[in-house]
Amino acid sequence: MADLFIPILIAFVMIFALIKGVDAYSAFVKGAKGALPLMASLMPFIIAMFVAVELFRNSGLSGYLCNFLSPIFKALHIPPELCELTLIRPFSSNAAYVLLRDIYAQYGVDSYIGNCASVIVGSSDTIFYVSSIYFASTKVRKTGLTIPIALLCNVVCTIIACFCCRFI
Amino acid sequence: MSKIWIVLIISSLVMMAIFSPGSVVGTMMEAAKMGVSMCIEFIGIYAVWMGVMQVMDDCKLSHKLSKILSRPVQYIFGKTDEETEKNICLNIASNIIGIGSASTPFGIKAMQGMDKGGEIATRGMIMLVVINSTGIQLLPTTVIGMRALAGSVSPSSILWPTIVSTFLPTILGIVLVSLFYKKSKDKLSKKSLTQTLKN
Repeated sequence: MADLFIPILIAFVMIFALIKGVDAYSAFVKGAKGALPLMASLMPFIIAMFVAVELFRNSGLSGYLCNFLSPIFKALHIPPELCELTLIRPFSSNAAYVLLRDIYAQYGVDSYIGNCASVIVGSSDTIFYVSSIYFASTKVRKTGLTIPIALLCNVVCTIIACFCCRFI
Repeated sequence: MSKIWIVLIISSLVMMAIFSPGSVVGTMMEAAKMGVSMCIEFIGIYAVWMGVMQVMDDCKLSHKLSKILSRPVQYIFGKTDEETEKNICLNIASNIIGIGSASTPFGIKAMQGMDKGGEIATRGMIMLVVINSTGIQLLPTTVIGMRALAGSVSPSSILWPTIVSTFLPTILGIVLVSLFYKKSKDKLSKKSLTQTLKN
């Protein structure tokens, strides 16, 4: 069922383009052209994040932190293996991708842990980054309940993700 | 972000200097190597999706979606000026389709439109940031790409759980913001809503 969705969506877009007389080939090439410059500009940030995350994990600090927090994760029915990922997700997408890739390698991409991790990364966003760039464009300095509400939604999102993945 | 980065680096370095100073450089270089290889994977993933999204964009799909969204946006955000409302709709529409880079400029314009120069965030601003930070992307394109490259049997099997766990928290966020912050001109906005409905 889910495997059908993406082919159908892309086919729908292409047929729609054909009907509307949009040159889909040129549009695709134009869009794809942006990938290399985008990654080139992101690469320093990704490497900076990789280095910090790997140091943090190899130093053993991350293990201590997650051992300390594991009762909370168990209480919320979130696998403790996902501790690092759920903690870093609100701060950095790149760091989340680092951990996601590691989880695929360690637990298997189609395992329960792998599925949960995919859903968590796919369904949430970097709260702190989004709110900082959005509010930076205004004169607002007091953001009120923005961050608490967004964080609560993030926790709920994680719980729902781990629950839904049991039924895949 | 920079504060978290420096805390991560310093605390790990101190820890490693005590227990295993020999492995510091190795860890850093190995991490950088992994970073480069992930970037190369990402070039491919992004090229395909950015290509498809450009086709959607050229078909004005996000504009069509933003028209559908205008009624719910009026209801959720209450009274805003026309330009801001259009920007909010386009921001949410591009988010749903997955053109993150296109959604941010609209979002920022909408924020500026709602900015009345005060120091305290208004209800509309908080609403927009909460909706954006809960992530309302319909297709988790990067994750599906990564799963495919990691050899998943069914990369898109995570699709429905992702959609459920992205929309329910978004609705929760909207409800919470509405509970804590009253619409500033509640009666007015209801009036204008019924007016637009009549028209």
